[in-house]
Amino acid sequence: MSDFAKIQSSPSGVAGTSHGTRSAARWLLSKIMGGIFVLWAVFTAIFFGLRMIPGDPAQAIMGGPGSQASAEALAAAREQYGLDQPLYVQYFAQLWRLVQGDLGTSYSLKSPVVEVLAELLPPTLILAGLALLVAWAMALVLAVLSTRSGAVGVALGSGLEIISAAVPHFWLASVLIMLFSTMLGWLPPVSTNTPAGLVLPIITLALPLAGFMGQVMRDSMAEAQRSAFALSARARGESETGVLLRHSLRHGALGGIALSGWALGSLLSGAVVVESIFARPGLGRSLLSAVTARDIPLVTGVALFSAAAYVLIMAFSDLAERLVDPRIGRS
Amino acid sequence: MTLARPLATKLFPIATALAAALVLAGCTPSGTTSDASSDPGSPVTGGNLVYASGDAEPSCLDPHVGGNYPQALVASQYLETLYTKDAEGKLIPWLAADSTVSDDGLTRTVSIRDGITFTDGTALDAAAVKANFEHLLDPKTASSTGYLALGKIASMKAVDASTLELKLKTPDNSLLESFSMPWVAIESPTALKRTQEENCAAPVGTGPFKVQSWKKQYSVQMVRNADYVLPVAGAAHAGPAYLDSITWRFIPEAATRYAALQAGEVDIIDNAQPDAIATAVKTSTIKHLDAPRPGASNRIELNSSKAPFNDEKVREAFIHAVNINASVDSLFFGSAKRSYSPLSSVEPLAYSEESLFNYDPTKAGTLLDAAGWSERDAQGYRVKNGVRLSLTFPVSTSQSIPAEQSLFEQIQATAKESGIEVQINLLDISSWYGELFTNSYNLVSAPYTKVGPGVLSILFHSDSTIPAPSGYFANLSQVKDPALDALLNTAGSTKDEAQRKDLYTQAQKKVLEGYYLLPLYDQQNHFLYSEKLKNVGATTAVASPIFFDTWLAN
Repeated sequence: MSDFAKIQSSPSGVAGTSHGTRSAARWLLSKIMGGIFVLWAVFTAIFFGLRMIPGDPAQAIMGGPGSQASAEALAAAREQYGLDQPLYVQYFAQLWRLVQGDLGTSYSLKSPVVEVLAELLPPTLILAGLALLVAWAMALVLAVLSTRSGAVGVALGSGLEIISAAVPHFWLASVLIMLFSTMLGWLPPVSTNTPAGLVLPIITLALPLAGFMGQVMRDSMAEAQRSAFALSARARGESETGVLLRHSLRHGALGGIALSGWALGSLLSGAVVVESIFARPGLGRSLLSAVTARDIPLVTGVALFSAAAYVLIMAFSDLAERLVDPRIGRS
Repeated sequence: MTLARPLATKLFPIATALAAALVLAGCTPSGTTSDASSDPGSPVTGGNLVYASGDAEPSCLDPHVGGNYPQALVASQYLETLYTKDAEGKLIPWLAADSTVSDDGLTRTVSIRDGITFTDGTALDAAAVKANFEHLLDPKTASSTGYLALGKIASMKAVDASTLELKLKTPDNSLLESFSMPWVAIESPTALKRTQEENCAAPVGTGPFKVQSWKKQYSVQMVRNADYVLPVAGAAHAGPAYLDSITWRFIPEAATRYAALQAGEVDIIDNAQPDAIATAVKTSTIKHLDAPRPGASNRIELNSSKAPFNDEKVREAFIHAVNINASVDSLFFGSAKRSYSPLSSVEPLAYSEESLFNYDPTKAGTLLDAAGWSERDAQGYRVKNGVRLSLTFPVSTSQSIPAEQSLFEQIQATAKESGIEVQINLLDISSWYGELFTNSYNLVSAPYTKVGPGVLSILFHSDSTIPAPSGYFANLSQVKDPALDALLNTAGSTKDEAQRKDLYTQAQKKVLEGYYLLPLYDQQNHFLYSEKLKNVGATTAVASPIFFDTWLAN
């Protein structure tokens, strides 16, 4: 529907509601279609990508490195998993199963991929969720403190943020283990089910993220501090801290919210490294071992799940922005 | 997200090195080294041992299915074998009582021990062993290692409750050695009748422990078998194990694993890296178990099927051009001993010939000149007919530990001095197999674990150059020598132990003197454990530890 038609069909405010509903429906439809396209593209890329790498999936099914599978055993494995079919047959057969919600059976874990995902999702979500909260807290504290303490504080805070944002997870994890487990003996180096076992993995994931978010937040806050409403608040006699906490902080937080969708994506990829180093069960570690073992169904499953989660999160943050700021979507 | 793997693979060693440096800097012990031979005291019953494995988590806890080393490690706690090896490396019966072979070598009779039950109450008898062999030979089981080991069996019959008769296709004097491998361990036939999924989750054996639960990606929990009656000959005590239970954890990162041991989170770790071993042996709180694996030594194979290594002179020149010993000492911190044999030093029939492998760049130069590689290009590499003397060396990052990869770089550097270019390609395991299948390599290093000198036939018989349908072939140096084949054939079938030894020695001489391989060291198998853990050291025939005699001091 063109803008011209929209104007024609909504001469009054009443008709505007039905226009809004239709617009929302169209928005939803475009999101769903876009999401389906993304999932199909991810599936196709993974399907052909994994097969272009040399090596025999049947060998992977048979225990992979170190085991010399017999011809009979390999043939049986090929037949069982349909690997003896031509590639295009395998592709469409898998695509059809996928449409029906069947992600197949993991080669390496010998159980349905859906079950594996259901089992490994909660530990990863707990880790990523807590890391996001901690990153938020760290970023807010850093942004507020550094903004309050003037130019030197900003420079210092900014420097700290850049350093923490640039630190790779595996390096941070190794240093944290050395410091807090080996030298000080305060925290376990492997992730156990106790709260203490979660501390190092959470810090490892949260610190680089806090660096990114702190940067964005402080920029938004600094902008707000210079704005007209901050000036008028000061004119009303608000203290500098009051202006910062009551007014500018919200703007800073908005900058952080916009980043949270991206943040969750980066947390999922960070989980690959962190879960491996801290020997914690989860989606990221299973992806790493699945890629190593050429476990095509599991790699496909994890990738599709991540893509779906990303599509959903982006849709939600888009929706949230439209709700918070009515100007978006009207123009 | 798949990009994360190569990145992580590249960067893990750096992180590990940094971590090691920090340990060395911050935690140097104060020089109090305890006496390793001190009396462990009187055994304590009870406690939970936490084992941290660095290997990939097995997809199935039944080593019949597939059959790799990580499976053997964990299964050694709950499954037992018909034969095993004593502390001196002598083959001894375990679940079997005895075995005889007919004069023509084609009928093997195995008598099974009486009075043994599996942990599900099923009795061990000849029919149970037969059911296990049938399970291994069934293509649906998808056994690879165990299947190969039993390949010569044509038919079998349980003559009575304690006697199993095997008819062989051809004589096989390594059958009893094969029976000692955990991949051919004996499981409850009742349990084997379950679905493969159920049996993979909790195989049932006769061992001192039994599988209680398996939380994937986290741990396998095992509890003591209270009715255990059959410790292997030479065990320190009788009756059930001292430990109440074992938690078998999977901690893939080497630095984390070692940190977990230092922090007391775990009691023993496998795949201990050379730097960690070097640090640990200086402490009084961590002990070291060095258990080289049987079968082949770790070696670099020289692909003789194509240029330039189809010329024996070039193979010999390469071997004299590379300087190995100093690098092995420095990179492995003294934890690996240089080998000059195709076989592991734990194999009684291993034959070494050190004099062939001296570092002699002058001799290498003379040989290369004589082979026509006398010109040099702008980079200083040798050239013949306009082609550079260049060797492709695919390296599996999951099979070669960082220290070994560094050793290969040292080899590359010393070969360059003699004008030989070595191109090292670090690859993940599937891509590495791909290079092998397409014969796109001049040098390659591949481990092979098997009990007994029969591994020589697998690695050097011309039959092993014929790829299986998967593309896999074990004879990676691609030596095809009818005289060698004849030696290996007779060595594998003779009933005369002295002749067997003589023939296998001749076969080893042949491959060493033909410069088909460059032996490096035994297949490394290092464990580090807390000094609280007493009586560690008993292993199966494939050098996987058994914790029957082990206890945790308070």
